Amino acid sequence: MPELTDLVAAAVDAARHGEAVEAYAERSTKTEVDAHRGEVEGLTFAESSGVGVRLIRDERLGYAWAADPSIDEVRRAVEQARENAGFATPDEHHVLPEPEPIEPLGALFDAEQAALDTEKKVRVALDLEARATSRDPRVTKVENVQYGDAVSHVAIASTSGVSAAYERTDVWCFVVALAEQDDETQTGFSFRVGRALADLDWEGVADEAVERGTRMLGAVKPSTMRVPVLLDPFAGSSFLGVLAGALSAEAVQKQRSLFAELVGQRVGSERFTLVDDGRLLAGPAASPFDDEGVPTGRTELFTRGTLNGFLHDAYTAHRGGTASTGNARRAGYRSAPGVGISNFYVEPGKVPPAALLGRAEGGVLIQDVSGVHSGANPISGEFSVGATGLRIAGGAVGEPLREMTIASTIPEMLQAVTAVGDDLRFFSAVGVPSILIGEMTVAGV
Amino acid sequence: MLDRDLALDVLRAARARGGSFAELYVEERTSVSIRLDDGKVEELTTGLDRGAGVRVGRGTSFGYAFSNRLDRGALLEAAAAAAASLDGEPGAVVDLRELQPPVVHVAERSASGVPAADKVAWLREVDDTARSHSPEVRQVVAGYGDSVQRVLIATSDGRWVEEVRPRIRLVAQVVAARDGVIQTGFHGPAALAGVEFVDAHPPAETALIAAKRAVAMLDSVPAPAGEMPVVLAPGMGGVLFHEAVGHPLEIDTIHKEASVYRGRIGETLASPLVNGVDDATVPNGWGSFSFDDEGAPAQRTVLFADGVLQGWLYDRLRADVDGVPSSGNGRRQSYAHQPIPRMTNTYILNGASKPAELIAGTERGVFVTALAGGQTNPATGDFVFGCSEAYLIERGEVTTPVRGANLIGRAIEVMSAIDGVADDFQTWEGTCGKDGQSVPVGSGSPTLRISRITVGGTGA
Repeated sequence: MPELTDLVAAAVDAARHGEAVEAYAERSTKTEVDAHRGEVEGLTFAESSGVGVRLIRDERLGYAWAADPSIDEVRRAVEQARENAGFATPDEHHVLPEPEPIEPLGALFDAEQAALDTEKKVRVALDLEARATSRDPRVTKVENVQYGDAVSHVAIASTSGVSAAYERTDVWCFVVALAEQDDETQTGFSFRVGRALADLDWEGVADEAVERGTRMLGAVKPSTMRVPVLLDPFAGSSFLGVLAGALSAEAVQKQRSLFAELVGQRVGSERFTLVDDGRLLAGPAASPFDDEGVPTGRTELFTRGTLNGFLHDAYTAHRGGTASTGNARRAGYRSAPGVGISNFYVEPGKVPPAALLGRAEGGVLIQDVSGVHSGANPISGEFSVGATGLRIAGGAVGEPLREMTIASTIPEMLQAVTAVGDDLRFFSAVGVPSILIGEMTVAGV
Repeated sequence: MLDRDLALDVLRAARARGGSFAELYVEERTSVSIRLDDGKVEELTTGLDRGAGVRVGRGTSFGYAFSNRLDRGALLEAAAAAAASLDGEPGAVVDLRELQPPVVHVAERSASGVPAADKVAWLREVDDTARSHSPEVRQVVAGYGDSVQRVLIATSDGRWVEEVRPRIRLVAQVVAARDGVIQTGFHGPAALAGVEFVDAHPPAETALIAAKRAVAMLDSVPAPAGEMPVVLAPGMGGVLFHEAVGHPLEIDTIHKEASVYRGRIGETLASPLVNGVDDATVPNGWGSFSFDDEGAPAQRTVLFADGVLQGWLYDRLRADVDGVPSSGNGRRQSYAHQPIPRMTNTYILNGASKPAELIAGTERGVFVTALAGGQTNPATGDFVFGCSEAYLIERGEVTTPVRGANLIGRAIEVMSAIDGVADDFQTWEGTCGKDGQSVPVGSGSPTLRISRITVGGTGA
């Protein structure tokens, strides 16, 4: 098996005069353990690698990729990318970034985690299920329980002189608990990600899934009301995906962003600060450089409600006459890079979530929203989503509520943010604390 | 892709520590994707993917290991890793015998023989057609993809299966704008076929459907909220059936006691007008195949007959546990994934009503012509669907378009509330995600009417 750095170097060597060539290679090993009814339901070992080649000739871009290629197959991928470029429309903004000094982020790799033996992983999955099914008499089974981890290596090289590599470890676990009472079933979901098993707090994941399931038992459909709404981090994270799409310079340049004309304007409440920071080690999406070799950094997209700008990769930066923010991302070696988020999070406030409940008297805590992906229009910002949650009374959560709809627009919701909790939590690349919205219409019957 | 002696050696290695069966899945896939964005070919990508997965079953559990490499060393290593969690005596491996497919999905003209320039021209046709439909069309994204997936499956009980699956899809996404109002329209037919598919579904037709959707929605008003009758256009009932009913009928959710349909075969759980099937044998269907990804022959499974629940969708692992044959629903995204129970083409079949009657018989309601996708909780049956194109029905006529409509309900209640099934069946092709795996699925239905369902809208 050739070294990643040799594979990417072979692609760069295959460039012809006048061509810009970049190769991105990754290799990962992954283990997943699923537990069910006290046994290992599934144990999966994965080993995968691949190379993606981007080639620019006469301002035309072509892309080709291959799984686990030999050096010869990498050269063939370069030829294919060259052929593919022949069909592309010329675009002067197709450029490969120039090399910049990259500050390593050594803490992304945990050697102990990379060497963790399978038995230990199996133990965590089994213990996770055992804990989830022994905390509350109403939770005796789970739908899914998984422990997973991965060790990954990334290498990138280009004819413009970029040459960089790094390695990382990732670990995660999740629980979908089934809470039952009489004829009713509710599901409770929780998960966490980290860099090593020690960061994972898997006990907390089991407990949280149980809590989130059992507290929904007996849910009723409320009547329509206009009340304060507290989005817990699970619910809030669903909305951040919509924001991420609208804050990409790609969407702005293609006139597909509701924020296109709003730079410098106060869009949200002054409680709302939104950041993308690829170097934040607390975030799971940290990396020393982005997926085209540009150093990552911190970009404050909203500062106290005011929109500062957008996320850029080399293409959008060239087109917009600005610098890349280090936000080139790709869905693995199979795709060319585009603008994407790194650690994309709402800056936490100082208020504990319990205190936020006290400020949302008569309102609703939303713990889950569904249909954001299909129910939100990323261009107009309008959304209408299904929600489940709990009534807030006397500074605490009470009656569980189901089949609610919340409908608004993204800007209206951002303006209505009245407080932000101190409980920032990352869900993959997206991080969010509890967010209190002054008033929203919650539609029921 | 692999000789039988090597396959046998891998299966023997996988059974070295016992278990109930071993399976080798080898895959090679070439793919082409092209994206035309605002008239520009932004990207033309070709890919070569290959790898193999080895699975060892033991009761309800399994070990799975895969690699990108197909050499003897890598395959034997994967076999050893898949067997690692077992500690029994070696199990038998029966001589491999090739199975004959129950149905063959013929690609008349392979996409790999068509020059990329022709494929780019189809996308240009989408762009031109959508733009000339209306000056209000502002943006057009046209996408094309084809792939050829070669699959080889060998199992310790002697199954040897080879299949070539050609897939093709052409999609149009159109944005229309007027006075600050922006609406999008989408259409994306797809098939298990060659480029003859493009003759049957001309790019211009796809473009026009998407463009008309986007432009029509410019006149939309906020959707009403509350319980009311809803008529679903042909194809859309199938999407709802797939999400809200099909998923809870997949045997893994049943076994996990996370399905509202568990233990209820033989009960009337839908309107007597509902006849539903899952059918992998539909010729050239997007969700079709000759064999599933465990080597079981494609089949047609009746899910509902006159509203009575008939059965589940099985993969091999769970069929073995229940002592029944697999229904041929073990599917996987690729060699990098273990097979799980999945739908193929999931249809509500034609009834006797006429679509016009269903509309005419509705005093006030919503006519949904395009769903944007949805979410369902199989344990509770709760679902939410966004509607990307919908209209009011007033006094038996389709009138004003409405936006922001959601359909919210519970599977059994909503299926039981169907009071009209028409005879104008159509399919709708999509990609279904489950447990981190995406597979192509077809859904289909005629026009349906649901007598009462909650519409979550923002209007009066």
